[in-house]
Amino acid sequence: MTEIILKDVRKAYGDVEVIHGIDLSIDSGKFVVFVGPSGCGKSTLLRIIAGLEGVTSGDVVIDGDVVNAQPASERGLAMVFQSYALYPHMSVYKNMAFGLENSKMPREEIEKRVNDAASMLQITPYLKRRPKALSGGQRQRVAIGRAIVRDPKAFLFDEPLSNLDAELRVAMRKELAGLHAKLGGTMIYVTHDQVEAMTLANTIVVLNAGRIEQVGAPLDLYNRPQNTFVAGFIGSPRMNLVDAAAEASDGRIELVTGPQRIAISSSIRITRSDKITFGARPEHIEIVDEKDADIAATVDLSEQLGGETYLYCTPEGMPQLTVHQLGQLPVHRGQEIHLRFDRAAMHLFDGDGRVIANGIPQ
Amino acid sequence: MAHQSPAEIDNPTFGERFNAVAAWPMRVLFGLLETPFRALQRILGIGRMPYIFLLPNLAFFGIFVIVPLIINFAFSVTGGDELFLNERPYVGGEQYSYLADCGSYLDPQSCREDRFWRGIYNTITFVFFQVAFMVLFSLVTALILNREIRGRGFFRAAFFFPVLLSPVVVALIWKWILLRDGVLNAGLTSIGFERILFFVDPTWSMFWAIFVSIWAHMGFYTLILLAGLQAIPPDLYEAAEMDGTKRERVFWRITLPLLWPNLLVVIVLALIKAVQIFDEVFVLTGGGPGTATQFIVQYIYTTGFANQVQNFGLAAAASVVLGVVLFVLTLVQLAVTRRKEDG
Repeated sequence: MTEIILKDVRKAYGDVEVIHGIDLSIDSGKFVVFVGPSGCGKSTLLRIIAGLEGVTSGDVVIDGDVVNAQPASERGLAMVFQSYALYPHMSVYKNMAFGLENSKMPREEIEKRVNDAASMLQITPYLKRRPKALSGGQRQRVAIGRAIVRDPKAFLFDEPLSNLDAELRVAMRKELAGLHAKLGGTMIYVTHDQVEAMTLANTIVVLNAGRIEQVGAPLDLYNRPQNTFVAGFIGSPRMNLVDAAAEASDGRIELVTGPQRIAISSSIRITRSDKITFGARPEHIEIVDEKDADIAATVDLSEQLGGETYLYCTPEGMPQLTVHQLGQLPVHRGQEIHLRFDRAAMHLFDGDGRVIANGIPQ
Repeated sequence: MAHQSPAEIDNPTFGERFNAVAAWPMRVLFGLLETPFRALQRILGIGRMPYIFLLPNLAFFGIFVIVPLIINFAFSVTGGDELFLNERPYVGGEQYSYLADCGSYLDPQSCREDRFWRGIYNTITFVFFQVAFMVLFSLVTALILNREIRGRGFFRAAFFFPVLLSPVVVALIWKWILLRDGVLNAGLTSIGFERILFFVDPTWSMFWAIFVSIWAHMGFYTLILLAGLQAIPPDLYEAAEMDGTKRERVFWRITLPLLWPNLLVVIVLALIKAVQIFDEVFVLTGGGPGTATQFIVQYIYTTGFANQVQNFGLAAAASVVLGVVLFVLTLVQLAVTRRKEDG
């Protein structure tokens, strides 16, 4: 069981700082996912933990020891690379045994570990094959097997599923979750895919431009985003975020965007009323009768998926909204529909994008 | 495709105007060719048409490669010193048995044509050391140039530069350095050493022949190995680092096996090139002292053209022997390349 702590970790390449002081504590046995858009520093952070990159300042602490000066080989961590990084000239068995041979482990012990890992990952029939004779999913398993046999303090995964096709990715995702349940070790997983993050993590760390935006459990981030970045990044399709002005009127607050006025409870304390952003997830916008509606919108496109329907519609003077409805909706392009935002699931952010309220009283 | 506005159509660019003018003669040419080629296609069928298009190149290849090969073989089974084949008497395999007539193949002096055997032994010595050291130096240089060192671009260019020089220029540069009154001896005497007569001593002559040849060619092989090194994904080294692999083990267990296909190509190419060694060494040492640096190609040249009695038949027979050796080496190279492509 391993605890990993990052203390004000900074990383710069020349004059360009890419990680701007990260503080993070990763509890033992947790499955932590670093998620963020390309270039946000998530892979760099993982490589810093692995020891493949040094820190410019700050400390990496593993089980109480500062390991800044320790090379990757001595940190006792195992990494699964995006490209799998299997040695192409070695058999699957040799690939998995290579690290153990380096540590001069007795041959019988190596054999036992490799065979155990292979049977757990169902790759025993391929042990004599070279990586090029395996499919993408099988290669991925070998890469995971190579990590497992070393019995590492923690597993590091650098976008391990991004080279797989969609179907295989879903299958491997389930297997990884199962593997974590079985092995119980600390796992740090980097991905840009928020669905992977939501489905795998105990804790998600949302990164943006070298900074942590929010740390929390998946549904915590989904239900209570602390800023517009997290609100927009977590959830698929993304949350509808609309810039508006807040005006007081008849004991209520009205969110004004273009000609549209959406009334909300005045119990929300808005300090800077001039510019705010309100957010509503696609599933939190209802199609209602005109009399109950907040706004009217024209359907630009409807995606009928059978069990659910996505509508892309534009209210006058507002950006396009995505609406998610269960079942099949007989709407067509150009049709006018009336929408109501579910107040309990509405989010309000201030002019700097920081949360004012997650959920508004009726 | 974007629609052109009327203004664009009215004002064609220079390129468009050039194309319009250049296209006209091409159109006329294709028009002229179309009728005969269509007729040809009707007669031969479309399956045979590619051979028609290959014919010009095949004709050149035939005239300048195949025909000389056949003529050379014909010369090797004739005797006398006449130039024209029809005037030369047929002697069968006599030239070959003359070349092969030895008391002991390990002792050139016991051979009737000792210069041929001396050439062979010299070539074997040269090839062994030149190829071994050149591959070694190329590998070491490539490994160094593959690292993040200061001035890497400059060094890459500097090591490749000699490859661009003509062999005669290479030899003349080094002759200028190594002669009795050359730059090297001037340097040696200025620091109190005796001058060395490099081209009078057989060992020194062979050493410099090998050295200069390595200097002139290793840039090319370094480049091939460098390309091979850069094709090894950096992830593998990081995986090895995570696996706790020591540096020497990384080299022996990862770099070398993954570079092996390139290394094999380099070895075979260097072998083929080294067996054919002639020009640089001929200008540098003239084959001397005595026959100390006379290689097989120089033997063929002097026997066929430079001796007072021009023994075309013997030279042609020696050429056939050399040709067979090179053919075998080329087959090896092809097999290696194919394995590399399959691998």
